[in-house]
Amino acid sequence: MRAMWAVMKRELNAVLRDRTMIIAILIQLFIASFSSALLIGLLSLYDPDSAGIYANIRFPVALVRPQGGNSEIITADMEALSRLLSERGLRPQTFSSLEQALQAMDNGQVRAILAPPADQEMTQSVEPPGISISPGEMRLYLPGERALASVILNILQRPLQAYENLLRERRGAPVHYTNLPGRPPTTYEFIYTVIIPILMLFPAFVAGGMTVDSLAEEVENHTLETLLSAPLTLHTVVWGKAAAALSLAVIQCIAWLGLLRLNGVTVQAAPLVLLLALISSGILSMGAAITALVFRDRERSQFVFSLSLLAASGLSIGLGVSPVTALARLSSGSYPTPWLFVRDMTIFGGALIMVVYALERVIDQVGRR
Amino acid sequence: MRDILTIAVHEIFRLARRWRWVNGGAGLSFKLRRLAPWFFILGVLLASGYLLAGRMPSLRDIPRLRFSVLGFGLYRVGVSGDLPRYLTPEGVLDGRFQVQRVTEEEGAERLRNEMIDVWIDGRQVYHRQDQRSLVCMGALRRYMQEQEILRIGNEHPPEIAFPLRVGVTYLAPGQPLPSGEGAMVDEIVIPSLMSPPTPFVEVIISLLFILPVTFISIFFTSSFMEEKLNRRLSILLSAPITPLQIILGKMIPYAIFALIAVAVIAVLTGGNVFEALLIFTPTTLFIFAIYLMVPLFYRTFKDTTFISMLVTTLTTAFMVAPAMFADAALPGGMSDLAYLSPLTLAVKMLRGESYTWRQYLFPALPMAAIFGFSMYAGTRLINEEFLMGYRPMTRKIKDAVYLMMEREHPYRSVALLSLLIIPMVYLLQLIILAFSTNLPPSLMLASLLLAAAFIEEVAKSIGIVVWIERGLATTARQVFGLAFLSGLGFLIGEKGLLLLSISQVSQTALGEAILSGGFLLIPLAVHTLFTALAGLLRLKTRLPYMVILILVTVLHSMYNFLLLRGAL
Repeated sequence: MRAMWAVMKRELNAVLRDRTMIIAILIQLFIASFSSALLIGLLSLYDPDSAGIYANIRFPVALVRPQGGNSEIITADMEALSRLLSERGLRPQTFSSLEQALQAMDNGQVRAILAPPADQEMTQSVEPPGISISPGEMRLYLPGERALASVILNILQRPLQAYENLLRERRGAPVHYTNLPGRPPTTYEFIYTVIIPILMLFPAFVAGGMTVDSLAEEVENHTLETLLSAPLTLHTVVWGKAAAALSLAVIQCIAWLGLLRLNGVTVQAAPLVLLLALISSGILSMGAAITALVFRDRERSQFVFSLSLLAASGLSIGLGVSPVTALARLSSGSYPTPWLFVRDMTIFGGALIMVVYALERVIDQVGRR
Repeated sequence: MRDILTIAVHEIFRLARRWRWVNGGAGLSFKLRRLAPWFFILGVLLASGYLLAGRMPSLRDIPRLRFSVLGFGLYRVGVSGDLPRYLTPEGVLDGRFQVQRVTEEEGAERLRNEMIDVWIDGRQVYHRQDQRSLVCMGALRRYMQEQEILRIGNEHPPEIAFPLRVGVTYLAPGQPLPSGEGAMVDEIVIPSLMSPPTPFVEVIISLLFILPVTFISIFFTSSFMEEKLNRRLSILLSAPITPLQIILGKMIPYAIFALIAVAVIAVLTGGNVFEALLIFTPTTLFIFAIYLMVPLFYRTFKDTTFISMLVTTLTTAFMVAPAMFADAALPGGMSDLAYLSPLTLAVKMLRGESYTWRQYLFPALPMAAIFGFSMYAGTRLINEEFLMGYRPMTRKIKDAVYLMMEREHPYRSVALLSLLIIPMVYLLQLIILAFSTNLPPSLMLASLLLAAAFIEEVAKSIGIVVWIERGLATTARQVFGLAFLSGLGFLIGEKGLLLLSISQVSQTALGEAILSGGFLLIPLAVHTLFTALAGLLRLKTRLPYMVILILVTVLHSMYNFLLLRGAL
């Protein structure tokens, strides 16, 4: 036991000296911050209004009352449009002609002009978006500055969609489930299904890679013989190295959990999350030790290790027992049934026991020669 | 050419020996056969796990997996009553929702006990007021809206399903609009079809092309590491072949493997093989270029692994980020910036959309440039002393810079170095941008300015400092001349890149503005001034380079800050 402790300490010292750990932690920090930056970018470009980014932008919109047509329908239309715009927080102003509205826009009194046609009931055909438009369709005038225009168009999207639903209903094609409440889910999903699994599993990858390198380096540099001629067995050396990798992984996971808490992210069942991360690190670092002992050189060990890691993660996602999913469900508290959780933990625990046993067998066989 | 081929063939044999495809492998004594029973047991376990876990998602399920690979089953939804198909347990098309049928009593009770997050009873939707339930509602709302539009579109003719088309006209300031009936408009939007979908799935698929290239480059790196450690590289260097031939010879087999893998994946994903090769050849070269640098600078295995990990992460991030915005509704022509990444081209290819030659060259040229730079650096750096020297990283970089420049032409070298280093500066700044988003907004801009200035100053002054330290630049006049040329090289590179991206983006007016006098002369003076300051401080004082850099960086960022304040 003391010998193993010594190997472990030697290993940890080497890691600290090489500054390997700093790179590993930097990678994790980069992945986490990069993906959140990407998320913010995606949200603000693909769906800014529902992300609430434009929530405080409000502006006056001109509504031009069309000439001719059925005045009752027109009045109803104008009222509906103006109500929908007000619901979004915009300030509709009615104008009786397009010229007046354009003048108001020139003077900066309004930011956009909506000109509904006289007769909405006119049938139209939907062609692939062309450039010419028939007089029976709605017109929208926006400022020429494209950046500003795209923001305005984005904000007008909701009211226009609601108006579209109104027209559909009038034509006998009602849309259901409109006006549902709810909060934008993206950030929530991102934290629990991307960030937490990444932060909990990446230390496991690092542990695996470290074990492969450390063992392969001893073999290729012929330092393993020296180690073994000291009163150390192959068992002690391998387990010491695996234990060092594992302890680093655990420290990282605990640190990430603490940082997440500081950032106001509640992780449900944190001890279980940590346990699952520990099991994954165990499987990976011991699996890595097996590969390194079997293949002995870094080139093949790293390759086989990365390839089996890839295969294993693909397979586990395919089978529906992936630690990624389990971590997401555990940390957000959404395991469908307790029995499903027990099943998953049994599978992961079983895999760990299998890997431990396999490692013992491999050490025995290699040690015999 | 024949030498290159000889080395290439040698490299294939080396690989084959390693993997025991041919006889004569060195000392591999562990028999894989002994592992066979283990593989068998593993197979049985996996098969039973498959039976236990239930279904394996098939290819038909891919739309269902959209957006939900990671969040599979994140939300629990109870349903009862008469529902459209897309809300039933059998018909739900979004893997995030675990849908279960409940009776009306069960639904209310489970919702209260937090066993489900939302309960849908026919047309009625019930939820709680806590975060989980509201977030689930938000996700459901989005999904149901999309599905309703699809349902309406399937059930009704288009003029009823999409009754509203809006003709958009952008008003140029001070210009009378073309009025009249049936007039032309700039754009037509259909409100319910307005938001474009994120090209998430396509980006993931196009990452499949990069994956084997990265894997194969592990071998390339390992090969160099091995020959560096067992000193076979030194033997090769003493043979009558050039370093370039060695690098090319070692690279060619792996590059061919990588391109074959790309072609295979193109066939598997139903893409066009020729087009895929055209898109991914510069990318492959770029990845190999970066992986060539890894073994040159590092000695221990652990270093190599983690540096490779870092490099893979960074390059993946660099490629994924722009591609995600392939369809974003960016103002003006800005959406073309997505073409910074070759994955955008792959996304277009997978969708069967077209792109122009310029859009193809936009990512390809910088990547090819980095490949060229890395090849040049490689040929200069492969020598006994540099490879085997075990020195601190900063020292190693300075040595590398020294080796890359030509002693006989100090001025030309410094200018070229500053010019050629631009793509790397640009890559680094992108990375810093990603990091800085972690900081609070008030600190973000400041740290961004500081970091950007620091990188720029390093890029411009390192060549000069190396000359000074080696005693090759001794007078203030020399330093000033070098600083001027370095600033000039940097400026040409910087503005060239900007011009390339801007002309891609908008009209030539902006390009002309960039090239006009004021836009060029002042930055040139500033670049020269700061670099000269750094050089002079190094020459005349005993301050360490780091301290000088920090000093110059602070000055530079203050200047940038004032410039920004003036502009805003």
